[in-house]
Amino acid sequence: MKKLDHKGYFFIAPFFAIFLVFNIYPVLLTFYYTFTSYEGYGTPEFIGLTNYIRIFSDSYFYEAFFNTWKIWGLNFALQLGIALLLAALFSDLRFKIKGLGFFRAIFYLPNLITISSVAILFSIMLDWRHGSVNMFLQQIGLISEPINWLNQPVTAQVSVALILTWMWFGYTFIVLMAGVSGIPGELYEAALIDGANRWQTFVHITLPLLKPIMLYVMITSLIGGLQLFDLPMLITDGLGAPEGSLNTMVLYLYNQAFRYNNYGYAATIAYALFLITVIFSAITFKSMYRKSVKE
Amino acid sequence: MKKRFGLYLMLVLTLLVSAACSSDTNANSGSDSDSKDDVLKVWSFTDELKEPIKTFEERNGVKVELTIVPIADYPTKLKPVLESGVGAPDVFTGEIAFLKQWTDRNYWENLSEEPYNADQLSDDYVDYVFDLGKDSEGNVKALSWQTTPGGIFYRRSIATEVLGTDDPNEVGEMMSSWDGVFEVGEKMKEKGYSLFPDEGAIRWFSKGEEPQPWVNENNELIMTDAKLNYFDHAKKLRDKEYTAFAPEWSPTWIESMNGPIGIDKDGEEGEQEATGQTEVFSYALPTWGLHSVLKINAEDTSGDWAVTNGPSPYFWGGTWLGIYSGSKNKELAWDFVKMMTHEEEFLTDWAKETGDVLSYLPVTEKIKDDFSEPFLDGQNNYTFFLDQAEKIEAGIVTKYDQQIDTLLGGQVLEYVDGKKTKEEAVNEFYKQVKNAYPELKLPQ
Repeated sequence: MKKLDHKGYFFIAPFFAIFLVFNIYPVLLTFYYTFTSYEGYGTPEFIGLTNYIRIFSDSYFYEAFFNTWKIWGLNFALQLGIALLLAALFSDLRFKIKGLGFFRAIFYLPNLITISSVAILFSIMLDWRHGSVNMFLQQIGLISEPINWLNQPVTAQVSVALILTWMWFGYTFIVLMAGVSGIPGELYEAALIDGANRWQTFVHITLPLLKPIMLYVMITSLIGGLQLFDLPMLITDGLGAPEGSLNTMVLYLYNQAFRYNNYGYAATIAYALFLITVIFSAITFKSMYRKSVKE
Repeated sequence: MKKRFGLYLMLVLTLLVSAACSSDTNANSGSDSDSKDDVLKVWSFTDELKEPIKTFEERNGVKVELTIVPIADYPTKLKPVLESGVGAPDVFTGEIAFLKQWTDRNYWENLSEEPYNADQLSDDYVDYVFDLGKDSEGNVKALSWQTTPGGIFYRRSIATEVLGTDDPNEVGEMMSSWDGVFEVGEKMKEKGYSLFPDEGAIRWFSKGEEPQPWVNENNELIMTDAKLNYFDHAKKLRDKEYTAFAPEWSPTWIESMNGPIGIDKDGEEGEQEATGQTEVFSYALPTWGLHSVLKINAEDTSGDWAVTNGPSPYFWGGTWLGIYSGSKNKELAWDFVKMMTHEEEFLTDWAKETGDVLSYLPVTEKIKDDFSEPFLDGQNNYTFFLDQAEKIEAGIVTKYDQQIDTLLGGQVLEYVDGKKTKEEAVNEFYKQVKNAYPELKLPQ
């Protein structure tokens, strides 16, 4: 019998120690807080399931839930669409587009700008009476009255979704390109010889083989999207205005905890958010995974 | 053999690294314990304490460590430190927005007790400033060196052109009632000027008009007529187009202080001269607005300003200072608080240098008549603000103010934008307050 060497445990111990103290402990403590009323000062007061009962009848939470989905959904559809289109163009042997690295950098650039700069940039551009977007649209005669972009629920949500798309399509594009470069070139050459057109090549070769990558993009984007916070926070000064249309789940959580000092309720929202994320990730994973297995 | 060597190398490296780390920490803790009594830790949310700290260091031969936390994170960062006492400051400041959340906790040392006896100072301060530093039982927890009443800063050249005078008394007379404000607004509009940057500018007057706390001792939300009128006044400003659509702190707001801004008011036919550009006549700002906002952003119009009163007195902001109750350095901490809040020599220099409007009367009595602010064309803003400070009531501040004011402002805007009726907006406001603070009772 070969003697087992346990030295390895010493090397991984620091990670687990840190993980226990800084990850597991807060998670469990948060769970405890969900049963309490806690102002952030003194000792939490145990109130049983009150917070859970409250969250089920809280119209502001439902509003935040649907807002988050609307914004993420639109953003993801556009983001994936643009990234796929670009991936198809760049992978097409017949186009032979040069300077892939250059475009990759250009597309990825918005992702590097800090979110606060992005928020300031767009709130200046989208300003109702003084912004360049309205002035431009009026100049070319597309609109006659200035549009108050960030003051109407629909335009505000669409604006945020578009800004997010602009920020993230480059990232998605890079990930998809990495996936595309993993597809053997012979398949495309064979398709070319067999006389397949671009659409057929894309649908029958690129798309199916990209599925695992797309699954990855979708789940990471879903998890990030459900945690949408910074942009609405900065654009609306944390209010989630207009008419609560930019009130996302995490923004609501932030306000309950750090503005209104309802730490117990905020902890409950955090757990609700966690459950929602798990459920939807599982659904996404299951549905996509099953399909690819069948094929 | 090779494997062994690699393992040894790693071991040696690990030892080296850990040795380096531990010697570092030793060095640190060593110097800490040597000078423990001489280092004073101060936390604040602005850099205004930087200069006083230099003076304090020079005088006492001690070291002061100032930690500045941006105001948005300040309560969140400070709270765990004060709760646990780990890494806590000896002295920390509180802003009006969270002052009342802290005075009733035991974070600040009770200054009414020996050896501080701060109660004896009560006659030396502007009343509202001194009272705000007390907890609900009347113990002094924090002191402040400044007073922050507000006024209306306006452009002299525009006043002369439109109103026929730039005298602060006469302009103040015209703006002393709501009817007067709208009259001035109409005259401004006729000449293509905007009375205020936006409708939010008047919110302070609605608070000062009928001084009532947002929440009384029975946890009831109090909605005054003045606050309900705020909806109508704001709506009127928008509908009559007396404002320039430049919300507070927006880039346009800042730009508008320095000259005309491009604007596209959707006026009726025949009012075409109203489109294109506009200049903002006045801003509702407190004492610190002059130094921290106007002077920095209105360089080109310097000297063309004056300050006067609005329809009601109000105050906005302010910094209080107290000793952490768990501090091991209370004596030195008190020395610092003393210097900052009631030491004549220091405060006299400070006020003359910065123009900060002090709340410590023995000093203000001496120096107030000599002030002449070039930015305000030589006006003595000091006496003006001190007069305003006398009219302020302290009892109206509660720990809920900042958040409830924000919620109210949001609903006023929805009404002004025409998205809700006044009733809907008021009800939504109540609903939001209840959501934020379930313990409050709504007015019925």
